[in-house]
Amino acid sequence: MSTLAYGGRRGGSPFRGWDRFDYLLVLPAVLLVVYGLLLIYSGSAQSYHGPFASFNNPVGKQIVFAVAGFTTMLVFSKLDYHFLTHYSWALYILSILSLLALLFLGHSAYGSTRWFNIGPIQLQPSEFAKLATILLLARFFSEHGGDAREVKAMVISLIIVLPAALLVFIQPDLGTTVTFFGIWLGVVLVAGVSRRHLIVLASIGLAVLPFVWTFAVADYQIKRIDVLVRPEQDPLDAGYNVIQSQIAVGSGQVFGKGFTNGEQTQLAYLKVPTKDFIFSVLGEEFGFTGAMLLLALFIFLLMRGIRAAQIAGDTAGQLVAVGIVVLILMQTFINVAVNVSLFPVTGIPLPFVSQGGSSLVSVFMSLGILQSIIMRHRAYRQA
Amino acid sequence: MSFLDDGWSTGHGGGGPTRNRPHGNLAALRVAVVVMFAILIAQLFRMQIIQGDEYARRSRENHITQQIKLAPRGLITDRNGEPLVENVPVYTAIILPELLPETRDERYKIYLRLEQLIGVPALEIDSMVKTQEIDGRGYINVPVRKYLTQNQALRLEEASADLKGVRLDVSPGRRYPAGNEFSAMLGFIGPQTKEEHAQLTSKGYQLNEPVGKAGIESYYETDLRGAPGATAAEQDAQGRLVQALKSKDPVPGNGVQLAIDSGLQRFVTELLYDHMAGDRVNGDASVAAAVVMNAKTGEIYSLVSIPDYDNNVFVEPEKRAAEINALNHDEAQKPLLNKALNPAAPGSTFKLITASAGLETGRVTPATSRFIPKVLEVKGENGVLYPLIDWKAHGNINFTQAIAWSSNIYMFMISCGILGESRGLGKDDETSAVVLGYYARQFGLGRLTGIDVGGEAPGIIPDPAWKKRVHAGEGRDSTDWHYADTCFMGIGQGDVTATPLQIARMTAAVANGGKLLTPHVAKAIVGADGQVVRTIEPDWTQVAVSDRNLAEVRKGMHESVIGGAGARAYQPGLDIAGKTGTAEFNLPDGTLAQHAWFTGYAPFDDPEVVVTVYFDRGIGGDKAAPLGGQILSYFFAEVKKP
Repeated sequence: MSTLAYGGRRGGSPFRGWDRFDYLLVLPAVLLVVYGLLLIYSGSAQSYHGPFASFNNPVGKQIVFAVAGFTTMLVFSKLDYHFLTHYSWALYILSILSLLALLFLGHSAYGSTRWFNIGPIQLQPSEFAKLATILLLARFFSEHGGDAREVKAMVISLIIVLPAALLVFIQPDLGTTVTFFGIWLGVVLVAGVSRRHLIVLASIGLAVLPFVWTFAVADYQIKRIDVLVRPEQDPLDAGYNVIQSQIAVGSGQVFGKGFTNGEQTQLAYLKVPTKDFIFSVLGEEFGFTGAMLLLALFIFLLMRGIRAAQIAGDTAGQLVAVGIVVLILMQTFINVAVNVSLFPVTGIPLPFVSQGGSSLVSVFMSLGILQSIIMRHRAYRQA
Repeated sequence: MSFLDDGWSTGHGGGGPTRNRPHGNLAALRVAVVVMFAILIAQLFRMQIIQGDEYARRSRENHITQQIKLAPRGLITDRNGEPLVENVPVYTAIILPELLPETRDERYKIYLRLEQLIGVPALEIDSMVKTQEIDGRGYINVPVRKYLTQNQALRLEEASADLKGVRLDVSPGRRYPAGNEFSAMLGFIGPQTKEEHAQLTSKGYQLNEPVGKAGIESYYETDLRGAPGATAAEQDAQGRLVQALKSKDPVPGNGVQLAIDSGLQRFVTELLYDHMAGDRVNGDASVAAAVVMNAKTGEIYSLVSIPDYDNNVFVEPEKRAAEINALNHDEAQKPLLNKALNPAAPGSTFKLITASAGLETGRVTPATSRFIPKVLEVKGENGVLYPLIDWKAHGNINFTQAIAWSSNIYMFMISCGILGESRGLGKDDETSAVVLGYYARQFGLGRLTGIDVGGEAPGIIPDPAWKKRVHAGEGRDSTDWHYADTCFMGIGQGDVTATPLQIARMTAAVANGGKLLTPHVAKAIVGADGQVVRTIEPDWTQVAVSDRNLAEVRKGMHESVIGGAGARAYQPGLDIAGKTGTAEFNLPDGTLAQHAWFTGYAPFDDPEVVVTVYFDRGIGGDKAAPLGGQILSYFFAEVKKP
């Protein structure tokens, strides 16, 4: 009977299910990309002077990636997410391997190794590792009754996250490491983890923290945390980005200095103004008003994502949706927090907005998976 | 059911014991989204709305640089417009360690090239740069050599384009071309000291801005300085200029036109120098001074201090340190003290004050006469005999003759009284001293004149309280005020000291009917366009002596030159009145020596100009008086041309 309910649809028209496609989930994403294109244009105005239609033009390149990302989203919408959870072990192992390979073959920038250079394209395996981890976690819990109440299940789920988190940590990429644990926490919470277990785990974590601080955290990370607290101590070195982003954001005031009119951006005081510090460009040129618009788009998008988790047809779908929502939430939060000096400088792109193909394609891929979950929810409800 | 189907819908097809219905509570996730975004919004509100103004200010400072352009300093001329100072550029070779290349080899290449250009050894440059860098001050300029010649500066300017981190700095400097005669009054400019800098910064001074250190340069600093200009420019993060925003031209400083006549100044200086050497009656003088002043306005025509010096040495302190050191440590002559503004015992010139006080208090009248022997023995308390000594036996003389012939005993009669015969100015010795001191201060002694040249000392007008204070702890004999103290005070000796300028000013007050003028060297402040910005107006206080009484004193001075002690001041065709002074004092070895003074004015009936001449050795009537006459003669012939 269940086979009939599901299999019956398989043979139908290729447009079946699209009527349930969530346009309201895609709309804020597309608006965010457009917003991002404006900011990338402004942020690159002082460094790029070539023709518009060029792959060297950050804006042109981003449009190409946006189209590629959008297509990817459509493909993944059509693809049953169970296909992905089914192969999640393989995907997970593949991304662990690519993170390992990165240690030896990767391209370094800003003191960190995060990319493969494939021709003109930089591939950032951690973007895909995050998705693979989400899929594996979802599969694991769905196979265990969607339940994290048992200590054993919780510990195993943590063991799933740890290798990826560690490999990212030694890149080093503190922001992504935190994102991994955020995803894990979100998933196990929804999977019903016992609060008592979480508290015990948190206590252990706190106990271990000093050792991590001493032996595992790189000097540069300590310095970045230090300059976050006291940026004036080191105004030209580690504190530079913190101070310049503070000045950019703060000086935007209520309405901003106007599009392409921010001195911090246009006179190159901001570093990486199209990537990690794109929010500072926004803060400077569009002010508090512009920032509220951006955050509103994100809140709308995330709430729509949570709706996907709400209506998901099965535990796997729900947990994947939760993982993806947490992923976007964590990245957005950390990126903006860095720009407003609430988090040490770490290279996390702003989803949909920051310049960068891997980020854009992977985040659209996530949206596609969410759509896949939404489009298939009735299959199970009706069963 | 295909295998794939089964696999994809994990756990579903089996219908096993695992629950596959979604059951999670998503409220927590919604709360998390709201809370995390609330944190971001709160921080954005704080930064953009609450602290927005502050960040906007920092943003402006971030990218706007100011380059200060110092104003050309105002010039100083004499009363006829002869320039006494020149503005010259000071060229300095500067290294900014931050901008030097990183490698040792490249740096040494630059140092060696600099050695060729300006002659500072490369090793020395290296150690200067290293010291600065070790101190963590690599962002501050290192002056490698100051006062480059114009030739060196041009070559360095050309070469510096290829020498990264090396720059030619041009700062405003001064030269004093008019001669040593003007050094003491002009003063000089120099770099700010640390103490000065703290004070000057609040007035908007730049670190490299020189400041007036003494004399006119210091007194009229605010007029001479002008206002620095600035260019503001926008620069990017690499320090490249993006665009010039605005510029404010510097406002040149105002010039100071002095009342000094440079011809007279040179004439007087040369005259005094020519008469330093002693002769049969006069000792060798090592110090001298002269003041020529307008009797009605206080304008100073000439202010001479001997020995003089070259103030150009102070403009290049690093280069001419040895000369400065020599000037600073010349204890015998102390050339840096302006002798016209530093005190010595005024001797008989002080009798003008004693005489005025005598008339004003009614102690004597113009008709009071007495027989004056060379020595008059008076009997003090306990029957002790005091010999009152005059410089000659005057015979029976009246008030006018007492001034004309500078009688000591007549002045003792006024100031301290003759024991057993008459009392002095007050009921006892102490009161007499206080009354005399009052008149001395009325005539401007014992306090600063307020002349617009620094380095002035007030001199001393003693009284009983003063004596107690300065001799405290030395026993009653030293601290008590005695009869003799009042007597000596009355003839300008003992502890009394006055500056040549104070004597000139006092003379002017006698001559002009009691106006105690504030002397000033400057006549007008003149704008860079030649327009007078303001003139220095005469300023005076009225002396508490009536003109009727002063007229009697003037009569005595007139008689002095016509046929008294000051007769050698006589000049044909000039009606001069004057008073000589010969202040006796003991040298450290116990021998007696004299200061020579002459102070006078002309013409007698309408006093225009006062002259005061001082030598640290000599007889007033013999050494100083003739020069006083010659100076007045020069003045009426050359300065005040008909």
